[in-house]
Amino acid sequence: MRKIAPLRINNIDELQKSNETLKRYIREKVNQLLSMMGTRPLDPAELDDSTLLDIDPIGIIADAFGQVLEHLEETNRKLINTKDQLQAVFETAGVCISIVDPDLRIISCNEKQRELLVSDLNEKEFVGRYCYEVYCGNDSPALYCPAIETIETGKPVFIREIKKKGRYFQIVTSPLKNRDGTLKGVVEVSIDVTEKKRAEEGMRQAEKLSAIGLLGAGVAHEINTPLGNILGYAKMLLKEQDLSDHHKEKLQVIVEQAKKGSEIIRGLLNFSRQSKPSLATISMNDMVNKVLLELSTQIERQGITTRKNLRPIPLVEADPLQIEQVLSNLVLNALHALARTPEGTIIVETQRTGAFVETRIVDNGPGISDTLLPLIFDPFFTTKPVGEGVGLGLSICSGIIRDHGGTIQAESDPRGKTVFSFLLPVRSP
Amino acid sequence: METIAIDIRGQICPACLLITLREINTHKTVLRDGKARLVIKTDHRDATRTIPSTVCAMGYDINVTGRKGYYEITIGYRK
Ligand SMILES: Nc1ncnc2c1ncn2[C@@H]1O[C@H](COP(=O)(O)OP(=O)(O)OP(=O)(O)O)[C@@H](O)[C@H]1O
Ligand SMILES: [Mg+2]
Repeated sequence: MRKIAPLRINNIDELQKSNETLKRYIREKVNQLLSMMGTRPLDPAELDDSTLLDIDPIGIIADAFGQVLEHLEETNRKLINTKDQLQAVFETAGVCISIVDPDLRIISCNEKQRELLVSDLNEKEFVGRYCYEVYCGNDSPALYCPAIETIETGKPVFIREIKKKGRYFQIVTSPLKNRDGTLKGVVEVSIDVTEKKRAEEGMRQAEKLSAIGLLGAGVAHEINTPLGNILGYAKMLLKEQDLSDHHKEKLQVIVEQAKKGSEIIRGLLNFSRQSKPSLATISMNDMVNKVLLELSTQIERQGITTRKNLRPIPLVEADPLQIEQVLSNLVLNALHALARTPEGTIIVETQRTGAFVETRIVDNGPGISDTLLPLIFDPFFTTKPVGEGVGLGLSICSGIIRDHGGTIQAESDPRGKTVFSFLLPVRSP
Repeated sequence: METIAIDIRGQICPACLLITLREINTHKTVLRDGKARLVIKTDHRDATRTIPSTVCAMGYDINVTGRKGYYEITIGYRK
């Protein structure tokens, strides 16, 4: 350490001079500290040297700074506390929350958002990437993107329903502003409404089905009798000897049309059957094998390839006839859809999904457009020409599956892939 | 709550600020515990600006009231 040379004073003059230097130094430092506190320098006329030393300004200011520091520390501690609490709320919220910058790059997001909308990327990999790439799986933002609207207008935007990665969300976007009012980013809060929507759709479907079922049963019964009479008398007439070919042809048409009519009636009666399923313990893998075997002639005739992907699955408790009907309806629909598809393929898969056994029927046919997809389970909805389809197949399927405590759904990529899948509860032990 | 009154009328800034700070330092414990507050009377207008900005940074709450011919600055600890 460097030694400071002791101050050696030789005469009064020198003493006074050094005194002056020290007082000037103190005044300067006091003024410097005062200007840090935003006030003006001391006026020597106001405060003479002896009062200055009496007051001890440097001591006062040092103590005051001590309190400023103490206060800062406390404020810091409170801030960290608040931040931790907010972080916990942010992370554990049951809704998806994400913050993006005005260029739509991800700043951060919470656990729920990661779970539902970020697929297998870790934090380092998605922060800084475009939200539409990571969350929506698109190369560019959607036309109706609420975040963009918020960036443009600076106002919150609410979207009732938007589909992302196969799920439905309600979204609110709100602007996140800097202290000067400029836009720092957008906070996007999304609520997953997929289950709610499915439940609502199921209800709607169930209501429609029961109304039509009641009506159908009544009407079908009333029409069946006269229709039977028409068919019977037409067949009797056909047996008469002295009919011209011309008349025979026309009678033939009456017979065919009456038959088609009764087929429709049979469908209706089947559809409105009130009977509860008669349950047995069955293996879905066995059911799939059985149905594909029954339909094998038709499958071969159409030149369709079938693949089975049957995994080890638990047994289910179900009505074998009804489940067979569901499977064959779905496979027949797929066969019909593949009528004009070269290299048509049907894959039937089974797997365990939670407390359910899931069966999936996948075809590479033309698919179902987004506008038609919500309608296909409706009774009498068909795209087939009159006489070829009644449009009851899928509504019968959905009725049967619901009676079994399961669910059925369809997904389709109109570029050529359709998946029908249904869940049946695993037999309770 | 106890009120510690200080009259610095006639003093001008920065002496006002220094005196106020000295009083706050002296009574720091009771002020921070919320047991007392400081009421300062000053007739120097500048002091109503310099005192609040410094004292706020120390964590105190300030209230300035204009009276007849002087200002009253009340200082208490912000909980
Ligand atoms: N695998 C599929 N690929 C494409 N479209 C399909 C498929 N399955 C069903 N559809 C569409 O759904 C509609 C309704 O099917 P649904 O089985 O209810 O009636 P349908 O097959 O037309 O008549 P049917 O009562 O004879 O079964 C079909 O007309 C068709 O447009
Ligand atoms: Mg069908």
